[in-house]
Amino acid sequence: MASERFTINSPKVVHEIIDGEVVIVHLVKGHYYSLVKTGAEIWSGIERGISRKQILEEMVSRYDGEPAEIEKAVNNMIEQLQEEELIVVAQTDESDSTTAAAGAIEANANPEKLSFEPPKLDKYTDMEDLLLLDPIHEVDETGWPNVKPAAV
Amino acid sequence: MINKLLLPDMAAKNARMEPLEFFDEVCEKYGQAEAAGGGCVDRYYCIAGLAVRLRFAGEALLPYITPALAHLATGPVGEPALTVCLWDSDSTNIVMQPPPWQADDYREGGEIRGFVDERIHTIVQIGVNALSVLDRERNLGIYWVKTAKQIPYYESGAPLRAIFHLWMSQRGIQLIHAGAVGLPSGGVLLVGKGGSGKSTTALACLNSELFYASDDYCLLAHHPTPTVFSIYSTGKKNADDVGRLPFMVSHISNPDRLGTEKAVYLLSESFPDKLLPSFPIRAILIPRISGGRETALKPASPAAGLAALAPSTIFQLPGDRKKGFQTMGQLVRQVPCYQLNLGTDTGQIPEVILDLLYTNQNSCRSKGH
Repeated sequence: MASERFTINSPKVVHEIIDGEVVIVHLVKGHYYSLVKTGAEIWSGIERGISRKQILEEMVSRYDGEPAEIEKAVNNMIEQLQEEELIVVAQTDESDSTTAAAGAIEANANPEKLSFEPPKLDKYTDMEDLLLLDPIHEVDETGWPNVKPAAV
Repeated sequence: MINKLLLPDMAAKNARMEPLEFFDEVCEKYGQAEAAGGGCVDRYYCIAGLAVRLRFAGEALLPYITPALAHLATGPVGEPALTVCLWDSDSTNIVMQPPPWQADDYREGGEIRGFVDERIHTIVQIGVNALSVLDRERNLGIYWVKTAKQIPYYESGAPLRAIFHLWMSQRGIQLIHAGAVGLPSGGVLLVGKGGSGKSTTALACLNSELFYASDDYCLLAHHPTPTVFSIYSTGKKNADDVGRLPFMVSHISNPDRLGTEKAVYLLSESFPDKLLPSFPIRAILIPRISGGRETALKPASPAAGLAALAPSTIFQLPGDRKKGFQTMGQLVRQVPCYQLNLGTDTGQIPEVILDLLYTNQNSCRSKGH
């Protein structure tokens, strides 16, 4: 389990990492999400293809906190990301630690360790209505939809 | 009224119809409609610097489609970059062929499964009940409705979105869900979902030295710097909220229908000198109704700007959503984002935006830009 790797659930999921914050959109469900701080760093680790163990090691090296507490928080976040179908277990088990480290969110500028804050996934569902497919019951005599317009 | 989209024999007949074949059949129908109407009525526009011809079969659709684009009207162009043929069955007496797909082929954004490929894009807007088909290779679009009377006010306020979006995105121009106000030297985008205050902000600026490009949809290009292009010169406001902008009340174009529609303003008629076709984007503002009296800006992260802009844009539009998301990601990396806390004194809104633009202008000057 510690060597398990994940990948972004592309093409259903798109994301942008900007200034250490992440915006994630599930294009099929119509949900979008944001991650900051430790959550964004975990996402960055997943994006770089490093293992669950390596993500945990990065977090322990960066943050001041009980390793067991950090591990629990990292695992919870990974579980949540899987439940939301934002990430999936990677099929390959290859590692490339050089490449993987290159894209890490910079969090080590301060040599002093920061206090660990559990990551939080903020989820927004206010757009899902735009994607709901209304069953087309009403058609005219030629077969074309004849649905009354909804107010926009 | 029947309760199925397609009779089984018709479905079997059309089972192997290719997207291009469907486009050509619809195109032929348009030709019949044009002939039935005694010829075409052409209107030309310059949208984001590109010449567009709207070719109508008769005059029935003109009042539903052209007012929103009136500020971009031009004279005839020999070789327009895009031509869109528009027709309706009621006024031309040309019946559209039955749709060659099944009820479960309707996908998100109105796309029709099996009738979208690299060349052809087929969309049916449910509610508007309009068919939009684009042939990217021929730069030719077709827009059909059964009857003009069925076109809702919000479609007339921002017509042909699907065709314009799909065609413009090929050219690196993204249709976005945003308001835009500014000066010729630069302006701001107003981003956020419906009800966040985009329209109030954009329309409030008509009563100031700021110019208007959009309250809802506009075009974004990145060459050479982030630039916004106006596409529609309409404005909309919730009917129960029109009193917030008293100077706009006399300009409502549908005062007799406010029980069922938003208030619509045709700004090319009422404020023709306040419309600006494009300007560089200096900042992104995320309006938020604060409840207090004062309007103020507060720095926001690029991610907050992207979260306010991108989902409400990409979930409303067909096509390549990933590409659109990346385009908007590129934008928020290039210009600063602010939360715009809207106060009840709407006169302050343009003042705050002008302050930001003048500060930005002075800052650019001192840097020698």
